[in-house]
Amino acid sequence: MSSNSIKLLAGNSHPDLAEKIANRLGLNLAKIGVYQYSNRETSVTIGESIRDEDVYIIQTGTGQDEINDFLMELLIMIHACKTASARRITAVIPNFPYARQDKKDKSRAPITAKLIANLLQTAGCDHVITMDLHASQIQGFFHIPVDNLYAEPCVLNYIQNHTDFQNVLLVSPDAGGAKRVASLADKLDLNFALIHKERQRANEISRMVLVGDVAGKSCLLIDDMADTCGTLCKAAEVLLDKGAKEVIAIVTHGIFSGNAFERLQNSRLSKIVCTNTVPVSQSIDRLDQIDISPILAEAIRRLHNGESVSYLFTHAPV
Amino acid sequence: MSDIVVFAGGSHPKLVEKICENLSIKPSQVKLGKFSNGETSIQIDETVREKDVYVIQSGCGHVNDNFIQLLILINACKTASANRVTAVMPYFCYSRQPDIPYTAKGAPLISKPVENYKFDNQPDAPIPASIITTHAPSSVATSSAEFNQTRPALIKYNSSRIPVVNENGNNSKYPTSSETHFNLSNAGYKLWVSQNGTLIADLLTTAGADHVITMDLHDPQFQGFFDIPVDNLYCKPLIQNYILHEIPNYLDCVIVSPDAGGAKRAAKIADALELSFAMIHKERRCQLTKGPPRASLSSNSADPVPSSTHVNNSNNKYVATTMLVGDVRDKVCVLVDDLVDTSYTITRAAKLLKDQGATKVIAIMTHGIFSGDALSRIKQSGIDKIVVTNTVPQELSLKFLGSDRMEVLDVSKVLGEAIRRIHNGESISMLFERGW
Repeated sequence: MSSNSIKLLAGNSHPDLAEKIANRLGLNLAKIGVYQYSNRETSVTIGESIRDEDVYIIQTGTGQDEINDFLMELLIMIHACKTASARRITAVIPNFPYARQDKKDKSRAPITAKLIANLLQTAGCDHVITMDLHASQIQGFFHIPVDNLYAEPCVLNYIQNHTDFQNVLLVSPDAGGAKRVASLADKLDLNFALIHKERQRANEISRMVLVGDVAGKSCLLIDDMADTCGTLCKAAEVLLDKGAKEVIAIVTHGIFSGNAFERLQNSRLSKIVCTNTVPVSQSIDRLDQIDISPILAEAIRRLHNGESVSYLFTHAPV
Repeated sequence: MSDIVVFAGGSHPKLVEKICENLSIKPSQVKLGKFSNGETSIQIDETVREKDVYVIQSGCGHVNDNFIQLLILINACKTASANRVTAVMPYFCYSRQPDIPYTAKGAPLISKPVENYKFDNQPDAPIPASIITTHAPSSVATSSAEFNQTRPALIKYNSSRIPVVNENGNNSKYPTSSETHFNLSNAGYKLWVSQNGTLIADLLTTAGADHVITMDLHDPQFQGFFDIPVDNLYCKPLIQNYILHEIPNYLDCVIVSPDAGGAKRAAKIADALELSFAMIHKERRCQLTKGPPRASLSSNSADPVPSSTHVNNSNNKYVATTMLVGDVRDKVCVLVDDLVDTSYTITRAAKLLKDQGATKVIAIMTHGIFSGDALSRIKQSGIDKIVVTNTVPQELSLKFLGSDRMEVLDVSKVLGEAIRRIHNGESISMLFERGW
């Protein structure tokens, strides 16, 4: 008798999010052990039968020292489930690792995102759920279905509930994010501005040019990720210098690596808001988190029941 | 050697330098690093178009980091139109399939902190670093403070192979025993432990490796996991040379295999050098609790000599019997195995051998992983000398044990010659026999 029910497995990267998703679905996380031997090889033990079940493995890309460990964990978990005769294995990767290594921007540069896609498929992954991919083209690296969910509905809710949203201006910190911001601005019926980066060398922001008028407005800086936070802090400076009243940054993936926390602490941003796709390792004031576990949980439920997921692109589950 | 390109991974640059010296070339320029978010970054600074590329990475140190780096390097070479990419992995990571000792109920054993090692105890299995608990989640509301606490503390891996539980057995963060956790609700289900061999092989192939060179694979069957050619080189000639030239009166020494699994490997060396052979065999039985007292046999007979320890685990009494098959009294023993990791096996073996009257114990291992507290364990053990190869960097262990107790054999010539022969399309079979 096969039951074909949802089995939620969580890696070590973000137990809190996994727990929230499980809670939301009214399920318990499957009993598994993911650990390392002293020689630092990863081992996975599955403590209950997953034969013929619909398996969802929750693992996000995070950790300055552990990102590759988490990646191997994910691959090994997928493989272990595959060999344990799971019916379907879905990797739930809220923050897709190596998403920014997605093109051959220099001679002999690795396209690691493509490699990761191939590795996931080799391990035995049947489906991928992710969120706000840095470049949605990454979906095309896969030969299996990829559901790229958006944090936008949740962000929209946040803006409507936590800011005086009729009087704000949305700002994109670079040209690449203009589309994302424009879509939000459309939905909120707001104006938006754009900061154009003139880059001389990689990882070095040289000059920022503001396109649009921000004087006297409170600005919402919208981006898909905050990593070292150099761009965000610099953009906030530019906006405030141009007469903005206050600047709030809203990002999907709050990676905060390097000396990001120090930067944020010293920056003139009045608030920084991120979602919980990635665990935040240090608490700072002025940081707000949006919980996106309902979106992921609902996506899992819909996927399992064979319902359409597109509703989630525009609506946040209550 | 015009079309050959050798890249060094981050794990063992010194070995690569030596290999390249043997090939009279220089390692090619590649910048290895990390982005600030921890993602591995590489930048290849030399053309590889239509070249024969060798990427050398050992499976040591931060294993997963190094392995992913290897995959990215291979993939970058492949996408940069390399003619052929060969992964050279002197020590092949994940080559051991898991073998977790279970209690009768099926849960792994839990260890306590050790200060003075006794070398007759059983190796304990690790408990899961993060067993996913099933208690009710606190609340749906998030705060950044909460996030801090939810990071499992045991992800800090730097200490020992065995996650340690407190003396009173109470660990607030994790279930007091993995037994309660795994087996309350699903008695009868045997844990499914991941078998990573095929996965690792497939990942290498997916990344674009066309050929793999490795050394003394733990399981010879591992070659079968690949769909690409795998050249498994042997350290046996090197080890034989060492025994011939470095052990005084080598004809009087006994080759000992520390467990049944390595018996074949050790027996081959004993055969080749026409030396006598002994073997240590470990048995775990649970019915002996009320049996007759174990007879202590005189140890210079060739009969199996048991030395036993009781492992008392809840209601089940286990008797682990370590038997020595063969005679070692007043002999120099040479322990031979393919790898030493936590060193439980060889330190226990050394104790047994010394108890049975061996004058000296020399351990010769191909791969010296020395994880956890292996080195201090060896320092306190009866092993008089440990000989390993440099498939894994040994600078630190050499410093720790001192050069009078440890020696490192160089494998760069074998690997270099294998690369040369494979590049030129020559046979490498003679390397299996003669070594270098």
